[in-house]
Amino acid sequence: MTIELQLLWGALALYTLAGSTAIGGTVLARRVERSVLALIVIGLVVHAVSIGLRWERVGHGPFITMFEILSSNVWSLLLIFALAYWRVPAVRPAAAVVMPILFVMMGWMLVTSPGDGHYPPTYRTVWLYIHVFFGKVFLGAVLVAVGIAGLILLRRAGFGVQRLARLPDSARLENLAFRFMILGFVFETLMLIAGAVWAQDAWGRYWAWDPLETWAFLTWLTLAFFVHARATFRLQPHHSALFIMGVFVLAFLTFFGVPFVSTAPHKGAV
Amino acid sequence: MNTSAANAGVSNTGGWYAAAWLHRLASTRLTLLFIVLLACGVIAYEPAAGRGAWLIVAPLSLGAANLAAAILTNAVIRQHTALLVFHLALLAIVLLAAAGRLTYLKGQLELAEGEAFSGQLMQVERGPWHRSQLERAVFSNEGYTIRYEKGVRRADTRNAVRWVDESGREQRAVIGDHTPLTLHGYRFYTSFNKGFAPVFIWQPFAGVPQRGSVNLPSYPIHEYRQALEWNLPATQTSVWTMLQFDEVLLDPDKPSQLRLPSQHALVVRIGEARHELAPGARIALPQGVLTYERLSLWMGYTVFYDWTLPWLAAACVLAVAALAWHFRRKFAAQPWDA
Ligand code: HEM
Repeated sequence: MTIELQLLWGALALYTLAGSTAIGGTVLARRVERSVLALIVIGLVVHAVSIGLRWERVGHGPFITMFEILSSNVWSLLLIFALAYWRVPAVRPAAAVVMPILFVMMGWMLVTSPGDGHYPPTYRTVWLYIHVFFGKVFLGAVLVAVGIAGLILLRRAGFGVQRLARLPDSARLENLAFRFMILGFVFETLMLIAGAVWAQDAWGRYWAWDPLETWAFLTWLTLAFFVHARATFRLQPHHSALFIMGVFVLAFLTFFGVPFVSTAPHKGAV
Repeated sequence: MNTSAANAGVSNTGGWYAAAWLHRLASTRLTLLFIVLLACGVIAYEPAAGRGAWLIVAPLSLGAANLAAAILTNAVIRQHTALLVFHLALLAIVLLAAAGRLTYLKGQLELAEGEAFSGQLMQVERGPWHRSQLERAVFSNEGYTIRYEKGVRRADTRNAVRWVDESGREQRAVIGDHTPLTLHGYRFYTSFNKGFAPVFIWQPFAGVPQRGSVNLPSYPIHEYRQALEWNLPATQTSVWTMLQFDEVLLDPDKPSQLRLPSQHALVVRIGEARHELAPGARIALPQGVLTYERLSLWMGYTVFYDWTLPWLAAACVLAVAALAWHFRRKFAAQPWDA
């Protein structure tokens, strides 16, 4: 096994340990926050070295194959989650919700082929980095909101009422989740704009309703609907939480489903 | 009775109805309906079939009316400058996109090396209000290089082009991939469509000689179908032309570059007669002489015209900046970890 893959495995092991500790901490109502953060941060560093080595070897960033995209997203999602975890203590118990989602992505990554892909000429532009950066912040912010929304739903379902008792009340949690959703909304809007600029350069049209564009736009619309529904009706925290989950599912399918299901030209190959 | 006072009463009632309607049109519940309708329209729309644009246009029109009414009447929007700017920018985006669709042009063309664009497109779609100035966008293809990586994977395209600017000066540039040539608002992009182009001179016995190229099917996609049938200008004579060469131009095992083969033969069939031509060879026909001059390359371009692009970009940036500004202010009132 190459050192690149060894480091990747090491990082995944650290993440798994962090996640298990977080879940255990929630179930047993123990304070494990510093250990969880430390494990995630060490994992991120190891993972970054692995991604860097691969970047150096194949000559391009992790943007092409499913393996690369899952790997880089596990990294960026965890980085954003770790930042929120560090800066906003109320977010911390959400690790018990967020980590299992990331476990699914890690498991999926392990069954995809780590082989090289082709780096098309349309990717040789700074817009790739801008677009991907905005997209990563968008998904990361929504993931943090999903973690908080998960806590609201767990509490509503009667799970661990005592264990979650130390948390702020659900209305305050909802407000916090909403803030992360709005952060996501701003970055998703930026992602769509950057994508349109890139598409104009690369394919001579800024928008053509290809499946990826369509689903990214639908995710944006769902978020707009959520913002307005929340302003128009006094949504209950668990209703907001369900909306947040819905937006995440749509965004997740758009990021990891559509490009690999459709044969549309969004990948810019040929 | 004072008639002018009575009239004022009537028009006030009219004004009252109009205001009531405007308020109804500005309902935020209508916004929710509009968003749902737009989402359904977007899912149902099939751009490939080129049909069903109304699925998007209809909800967007409703949304634009709803938005305009809200901007005029909604107290929350009007009192929050950033929110107002955001929604105004949103309205501007919808209107600009509509204006763009009415006046755009998208087309395809092919130019052999050395050939100048004459304003003729092979395929074109345009908005109903597009007023073509394509004939002013004259440029010529001065040759190109396309690199391939191992596995015949296309890398960068560099295409030299030449044109004469408004002040009559000759200009040159290299375009390709992300870099279009923009002339009079028309953006010309190189495409992945390109191939070999045998150049012929046709000298009819009555008339002036003409030089022209035959753009063979795209290479390397149609590597094994390098043949085309065409008609001699102003005749019924059909000419079948096929390019033959043995060399491996794009080697899957190493990086390469698209270029002309060092040796080739051009097979030309006219009626029952079959000719194998080298550059410079001639065929005498009843109506004139056909000379095979040389082998060249052609490039396929797409052209796109949409004057709204910079305005759209500006409106988008304004919208997102106002959105961020609005929520920054809103969230700053309370700490994130309250
Ligand atoms: C799909 C496009 C639209 C988007 C993305 C959008 C986005 C937003 C956002 C982000 C807010 C701020 C909500 C808050 O402060 O919590 C907002 C508020 C508002 N929007 Fe829109 N909007 C859109 C279309 C419209 C339309 C068509 C209307 C027309 C009625 C409208 C009316 C309003 C109103 C009245 C508010 C203030 C709500 C409140 O804070 O009570 N929006 N919109």
